[in-house]
Amino acid sequence: MSGLLLQATDLTVRFGGLTAVDAVRIGIPPGQLAGLIGPNGAGKTTCFNLFTGRIRPSGGKLEFAGRPIVGLRPSRINQMGMARTFQNIRLFGELSVLENVLVGFHGGLKSNFLSAILRLPGYVAQERRMHRRAGEILELVGLTRLRDEPAGSLAYGQQRLLEIARALATGPRLLLLDEPAAGMNPQETAGLASLVRRLRDELGITVLLIEHDMRFVMKLCEHLTVLDHGRVIARGTPQQVQSDPAVIQAYLGAGEPEGIDDDRATDA
Amino acid sequence: MNLRDLLKPGPLPPAIQSRRRDTLLTIGACVLTAVGLWLLQAHTSGYVVHMACVGALFATLAVSYNLINGVTGQFSLEPNAFVACGAYVTALLTLSPAEKEASFILEPLIWPLSAFSIPLLPALVIAGLLTALMAFFMGFPVFRVRGDYLAIVTLGFGEVIRVVANNAQSVTNGPLGLKGIPHLTNLWWSWGLLAVCLFCIVRLVHSSYGRALKAIREDETAAEAMGINAFWHKMLAFTLSAFFEGVAGGLLAHLITTISPSLFTFFLTFNLLIIIVVGGLGSTTGAVLAAFLFTFGGEWLRVVEEPTRLLGWDIPGIPGMRMVIFSLILVGVMIFLRRGILGRHDFTWRWIIAVLGRGRTRS
Repeated sequence: MSGLLLQATDLTVRFGGLTAVDAVRIGIPPGQLAGLIGPNGAGKTTCFNLFTGRIRPSGGKLEFAGRPIVGLRPSRINQMGMARTFQNIRLFGELSVLENVLVGFHGGLKSNFLSAILRLPGYVAQERRMHRRAGEILELVGLTRLRDEPAGSLAYGQQRLLEIARALATGPRLLLLDEPAAGMNPQETAGLASLVRRLRDELGITVLLIEHDMRFVMKLCEHLTVLDHGRVIARGTPQQVQSDPAVIQAYLGAGEPEGIDDDRATDA
Repeated sequence: MNLRDLLKPGPLPPAIQSRRRDTLLTIGACVLTAVGLWLLQAHTSGYVVHMACVGALFATLAVSYNLINGVTGQFSLEPNAFVACGAYVTALLTLSPAEKEASFILEPLIWPLSAFSIPLLPALVIAGLLTALMAFFMGFPVFRVRGDYLAIVTLGFGEVIRVVANNAQSVTNGPLGLKGIPHLTNLWWSWGLLAVCLFCIVRLVHSSYGRALKAIREDETAAEAMGINAFWHKMLAFTLSAFFEGVAGGLLAHLITTISPSLFTFFLTFNLLIIIVVGGLGSTTGAVLAAFLFTFGGEWLRVVEEPTRLLGWDIPGIPGMRMVIFSLILVGVMIFLRRGILGRHDFTWRWIIAVLGRGRTRS
């Protein structure tokens, strides 16, 4: 038992001849705000897909809360306490905002379908609790006003927040956020940063996020892992990573250290 | 006024407070339907009663088929197999031993089945459970694939069942089929089944399970990532719909009293598919509405095949004309109501009251 919440050892995946993730070693202790950064195509989202069981690694080990999770169904891994959002938003577009969050609770439902059909007291009590907690989560992310709107009709930034809300409903210990700030305006990004910090500080949720908005990452994250061509090229605090020559090389080819900040912040 | 605005309900009452009212309204509607059926039974011809039975059975089939195709979004094409299974099982269980001996002239019926018969209700339950069991085992290979492939695999299973029915001479009596099935299906059986089926499926769809099924329809990857085991939820929808399709098949056999493999070809599935698409994939009330329109519409359209005199023109009756008109109506529905009559919406008491309320305030 290493005490790490998520531990990937020599994680590798090959798509045909391409090694998308190459012997990646990542360890996330409970309670950390961690970041995973790297240029486009570095294998960040592939890592998320590996962690959540969406794709199977070609090699290496993956442990979540001390238990091996390679080969488990994504739904099982989610029920163990790992939830994610998607880079290309994947909400249930025709369901309402509230229903999207309620779906997140379904994996934890302890009644079978017959008690749901017959509305047995046990089921009804759980349904009530789901509605109450969904209300609380929507309040937390600030979408209460839109609860009855179809999720597909929301603005982009709100859809990102709803994805977080839906992930929170599954009761995660580890939350994986894939580019949560993409498409958000500066105010929304600031709101997101304080939301993520509250999730950690008040709910004790460990967070691992992928993000291209470097100002956001540098301010929020306590530990960064930098990927390039599927390999970890640097790790450490934001300050350490920012001044790492290998990182600068990866982002800019070659150039000034201060270049990272401006370049990525403007294009994100 | 725009039609779309009319369909949009006005401000809605709070959901919790309206629940008791909805229950009372539903019970009221059931009582009214029962009275209506009693009047139908007492005052109309056997033909109308027969059509009302067929309508209710098709509505049951459409609602259960819609659970897997519309609500869960798994485009499958096998209900003819389930209806056939239910029909054969029920018929074999209720036919008297003497009747069976008279029917099976080429090869005798295998032993345990040939020796006994049981009443309709247990036969229907056994048929439903056996059909659900068949769906359960079918589900393992079937749900390894998605989309078009799922359609093709289930279509194949539908054909397999028909071929088996044609060739398992000593069980199904082959192409000769089963004759002399007692005419036990009446309005109460068929409408009772529809009521039970609606109760179960509407309740399921409006529960956490229903939300999970719709989530799978909307985005299976996301649903799975949110802790929903997509495979078992598809299995649930599939076996539950198979159960009701099997029972409906059993009642269908006892309504038309003669069954043979040719009754359960792909055309049965095809008709059900038309019904649920016209009603609106994913809409339970749409499926019921379309099933009755389909059943009765086909009969009303017989008028066009009679010779008539219209605006001074003599129009001779053209046999087959009603299918032409029927197809034109279908084309029209698909052009003007691309997502079916009700789309993915359902009639709810909330909606009906809101629409009626708006009508009142305007006048």
